[in-house]
Amino acid sequence: MWLPLLGLIVGIVLGFLVSVEIPLGYVKYTAIAILAAIDTVLGGLRAQLEDRFDLPIFLSGFVVNAGFAALLTAIGDLLGLDIYLGAVIAFSIRIFDNIGFIRRDVLAAYLRIGRSEARRG
Amino acid sequence: MPDPRPGRTILSAAARASRWQAGLAGLLALVGFVVVLQVRRVWQVRRTLQIPPTELEQLALTLRDQERRRANLEAEIAALRARLQDYEKAAAEGRTAAARLTRTLQDLRARAGVTPVEGPGVVVELDDNPRPPRPGEDPNKTILHYSDLYAVVADLWAAGADAVAVNGERVVSSTGINCVGTTILCNAKRLAPPYVVTAIGDPDVLLAALRRPAGAVEMLVAFGFPVRIAKHARLAVPGYRGIFRFEHVRVPQ
Repeated sequence: MWLPLLGLIVGIVLGFLVSVEIPLGYVKYTAIAILAAIDTVLGGLRAQLEDRFDLPIFLSGFVVNAGFAALLTAIGDLLGLDIYLGAVIAFSIRIFDNIGFIRRDVLAAYLRIGRSEARRG
Repeated sequence: MPDPRPGRTILSAAARASRWQAGLAGLLALVGFVVVLQVRRVWQVRRTLQIPPTELEQLALTLRDQERRRANLEAEIAALRARLQDYEKAAAEGRTAAARLTRTLQDLRARAGVTPVEGPGVVVELDDNPRPPRPGEDPNKTILHYSDLYAVVADLWAAGADAVAVNGERVVSSTGINCVGTTILCNAKRLAPPYVVTAIGDPDVLLAALRRPAGAVEMLVAFGFPVRIAKHARLAVPGYRGIFRFEHVRVPQ
């Protein structure tokens, strides 16, 4: 359980140590990537809590979601339309969904209620 | 990476937990890394530009727009400068041309007799014969006629006078001297004796021409008319005050 936390801390420290500057033009893309990553993390957490975590699905979900969101953003830039907002909204909805499921799962595990009941939402 | 699905059943619970944790840890490391980079970037933008980064794009658009307008304005300035230079050149040329034209115009007006002129010359005073007509004598013989006046003026012209005036009436190209009844008309103006003819020119030449034998002056003197001729170093002759009527004349092109 401490490994993900360690990973997060390592990432944060690395972010402070490395003097990499995101080009201003790509700030939007990294923001989308962050959203996609958070979504994937929460999805993985939820999958783990529901005991159906799959590493390839987890990683490919992150890569594909982030990639598609970046593509949408790029297309939006080309069209002069903020299509990336769609990705932002989709990711946000999924994040809240996942938070809700995680909350139920944790509560269910905490209250010793059967998993089958929690899974029904 | 081996296909996890068949392995899933083989792997122990602990191994699966570590795989989960490793995957999550890796992704979280990435998230942390990118989030920190992003936040640092945003802070930097906010600190250096004093604006929220969400307005960056708008600002970039504005900047590009302004730069384009600036380029356009600079091009306009260059074009205007070039035009100004052209205008200045043209104005300089125009000024010299206008000055030349003005000089020509003044010269022509002076020659036409429209402007007052001055210079050396002679003044000829003519009058009717003061002698009363003898009984039975034609009184016309004691009166100075327009033809006498005109003869004096013609003598002056012939002597090379530059400007001639009779009683303040400038003699120009359209001037006629004739008489209506007992008055002499010059430029359609009634003249009364004594008649003062002012002529600008070489005084000696004019004087010699006036005094030439069988000239107009000699004839008048012979018939007893008072004629006084005086040389002047500086005479003023007024300009022609009338109009030049050109109703039927066409200048052939």
